[in-house]
Amino acid sequence: MSEREHAGDAPEAVAVAATGHARPRYMVIWGALAVLTAIEVGVAFLGLGRSTTILALLGLAIWKALLVAWYFMHLKYESNVLRIVAAAPLIPAAILILLVLLEY
Amino acid sequence: MTSHAATLGSTARRPEPGLGIYDKKVGMWVFLCSEVMFFAGLIGSYIILRFGASDTWPMPGEVLNVPITAVNTFVLICSSVTMVKAFASAEAGDLRAMRLYLLATAIIGASFVGVQLYEYRELIHHGFLPSSGLYGATFFTMTGFHGLHVSLGVICMSWVTVKAFRGGYTQEDHEGVEVIGLYWHFVDLVWIILFTIVYLI
Amino acid sequence: MATIVAEATGTPVLADEHEMPFIRKYVFSTDHKVIGIQFLFMSLFFLLVGGFLSVLVRYQLGWPGRAIPGGEALPEAMAPGGIMLPEFYNSLVTMHGTFMVFFAIMPLLVGVYANYLIPLQIGAHDMAFPKLNMASFWISVPAGILMMASFAVEGGAAGAGWTSYAPLSARPDLSGVSVGQQMWIVSLVVLGLGSLLGAVNYITTIINNRAPGMSWFRLPLVTWALFITAILILLAMPVLSAAMIMLLFDQTLGTNFFLPSQGGQPLLWQHLFWFFGHPEVYILILPAMGFVSEIISNGSRKPIFGYHSMVFAIIAIAFLGFIVWGHHMFQSGMNPALGMSFMIATLVIAVPSAIKVFNWMGTLWEGNIQFHTPMLFAVGFVMLFVIGGLSGVYMASTPVDIFIHDTYFIVAHIHYVLFGGSLFAIFGAIYYWFPKMFGRMINDTAGKIHFFATFILFNLTFFPMHGLGMKGMMRRIYDPAQYEHLSDIQDTNTMMSIAAIALFGTGLYFLVLFFWSLFKGKKAPANPWNATTLEWQTPSPPKHGNWKEVPVVYHGPYEYSHPDMDRDWLAQNERPDIVSPAHPGRTGAAPDSTEDGAE
Repeated sequence: MSEREHAGDAPEAVAVAATGHARPRYMVIWGALAVLTAIEVGVAFLGLGRSTTILALLGLAIWKALLVAWYFMHLKYESNVLRIVAAAPLIPAAILILLVLLEY
Repeated sequence: MTSHAATLGSTARRPEPGLGIYDKKVGMWVFLCSEVMFFAGLIGSYIILRFGASDTWPMPGEVLNVPITAVNTFVLICSSVTMVKAFASAEAGDLRAMRLYLLATAIIGASFVGVQLYEYRELIHHGFLPSSGLYGATFFTMTGFHGLHVSLGVICMSWVTVKAFRGGYTQEDHEGVEVIGLYWHFVDLVWIILFTIVYLI
Repeated sequence: MATIVAEATGTPVLADEHEMPFIRKYVFSTDHKVIGIQFLFMSLFFLLVGGFLSVLVRYQLGWPGRAIPGGEALPEAMAPGGIMLPEFYNSLVTMHGTFMVFFAIMPLLVGVYANYLIPLQIGAHDMAFPKLNMASFWISVPAGILMMASFAVEGGAAGAGWTSYAPLSARPDLSGVSVGQQMWIVSLVVLGLGSLLGAVNYITTIINNRAPGMSWFRLPLVTWALFITAILILLAMPVLSAAMIMLLFDQTLGTNFFLPSQGGQPLLWQHLFWFFGHPEVYILILPAMGFVSEIISNGSRKPIFGYHSMVFAIIAIAFLGFIVWGHHMFQSGMNPALGMSFMIATLVIAVPSAIKVFNWMGTLWEGNIQFHTPMLFAVGFVMLFVIGGLSGVYMASTPVDIFIHDTYFIVAHIHYVLFGGSLFAIFGAIYYWFPKMFGRMINDTAGKIHFFATFILFNLTFFPMHGLGMKGMMRRIYDPAQYEHLSDIQDTNTMMSIAAIALFGTGLYFLVLFFWSLFKGKKAPANPWNATTLEWQTPSPPKHGNWKEVPVVYHGPYEYSHPDMDRDWLAQNERPDIVSPAHPGRTGAAPDSTEDGAE
């Protein structure tokens, strides 16, 4: 297939189609996710200040979520249009949560 | 446009003037957008309800069993890795590995649901119910809907696995594997968020 | 070019459709046109149901406490001796709103026309996921049946209003309805799932399956409106589902999301509901605006005025629709700073709405106007939508809203935009696309009678509501005469009720006309309105698969009165140099260079 040869020529190229991209080292991502989970549990029970803990945990969770979206869901290799599609609902979701929070 | 279409090969059945991505994949991403909003509704309600009752909210680990769930989180992450390995194997043309990885994903996913059911049983046994205040209500609603999504995922995954064992996917055509994978990773991603905000914060 | 056509023909044309068994062809069909027509019959039925419920409501308001003719047949729990109970009145109001919004207008706009028109207008063989499309219809049917059935259960149908504010809706002991309310919730969650599947389908189809040459800014405005509407459904509907499920748990599992006695937040329901509910308002009006743009351009024989600004106005309305939901809640005791920002955002929506109205007027200006029935409904839409839009501006400003909140002023407003707006556009669309859907014409004179009767009776019914609201008549009141300050409005109410019942009569007249035309109407040509968009370039009705060969699109959707042409219209898949070789104005023009036909 043509796109596979194409990918073979330039392994780092970001292809438009989903197939044929250079694959990341999934096991590394797996290790990172596992370590981050362990760190999360550690942070939660370390007894840091309440707001520090919350911020750290949210940061770690978002980091993990981004790893999953970026590598496992292949957003790294997709076109910008698909990235926009993927990110689009975050705007109304943020609006919903933030505006309602303003009330309390 | 034609030359571009040619490089896309079999995935570009309708090159003009779409995204150059096959329909099922676009459809799944669009569907995932609505899933984001569904969980945003649940998570948003959780945050707001919790803000309103922060003084009565139990600290992490007081009610819920964090170690078991942390292991369960790891289990779900593992299933995401086997899923992505199945897709990578399909791309590389190693169909046998693809089948085994798919089977592993389905089994690991099912065991996640099993652990969750065990956790529910223990909690209910100790008198922690959906009607046990806002904490119980939000906990069971959010984890329950996530569990429902995993269960549906396991069912679809089993279907894809059966199809794979019957030779339904090839190196050139494995759209189903990629699409179910997107759903699966999304469910994993949601759990990563839920685990943090429900169990750890 | 031929290679593109060949590649685009991914779905094989099913020429042997006559060999399909009845059940596959008409019941569990995957043909988007059949599914659209199924939605049409379903939603016309629910339109009738909703209309009938409103007649009962108006009967009580017109003649409070008088026995309904034939009402003795109703059970004791609803209307003992034919006199309706307040609880039954609550159910009627609730179910009228629910049926009209969720089971009549929304499927008429989206279920029917998104299904029917999108693949035809973009030049596709079918939806991207035909089976999913079939599922979305067959998910909606049980939802409707469940909603109907809720009248028959103990305690009656849901009575907490179509907005179902908690805690009234969350505690059966407050509203007196338990099973009915739960059925209401389950039905709407199921319906929401169906709409969601539909929306995924529409979006994917429009993004990916357009015919060669059909670039984004050559899409007909109906398709644009339906595309944006589908995005709104996609992003708003799940939030409603989440809220509904929490409400259901409050009722059944003993949770207390919305019950303040145990730390829950009743306002949270309002926020979640209106986060869905306001985009829902635009779900109900944007496709209608699309129909009207199409019909007005056709009826004026002119390109739509300001095509691009129309598209950007749709997008702006949709985006703003997500940040204005709080204007439904000015009276809820929300943070005043938040109320202020919601107010400003709401007033801003008037700008894109006005752009659309002025563009329609610009299209009509110096047009060669053909007053056929669809055109009458489209022009009627513009008139009534302006009234509804202006009363919306009244309520958007907090100080005024505090005075008229939850009065008949809001009832007038919602009916001017939903009936005078959406439903008039739907009638226009039904008259306009009927020939394409069924291959027969609706008699134009009969249609005009329908239009004028509806238009006059509509205004007689709903215009006085503005005044009643200003006078302080409450929105869901059972018997206004119990208040001294409302004692002198009974005559107005009676007049409105007579008009409303006659208005229901025009609806029946329309149904008779519809079904008569279905069987006895004059045979329709492929393109009875001399329209330019792609759906008119196939036979009426189109075959399964729509095209033998996918059409190639050369220019925008509204090429009416093209200066280089002998006739006054040019279809999207026609090239002027081929259609009118005598006029060499554009001979040899590359397809892409004729793009901006809209200006």
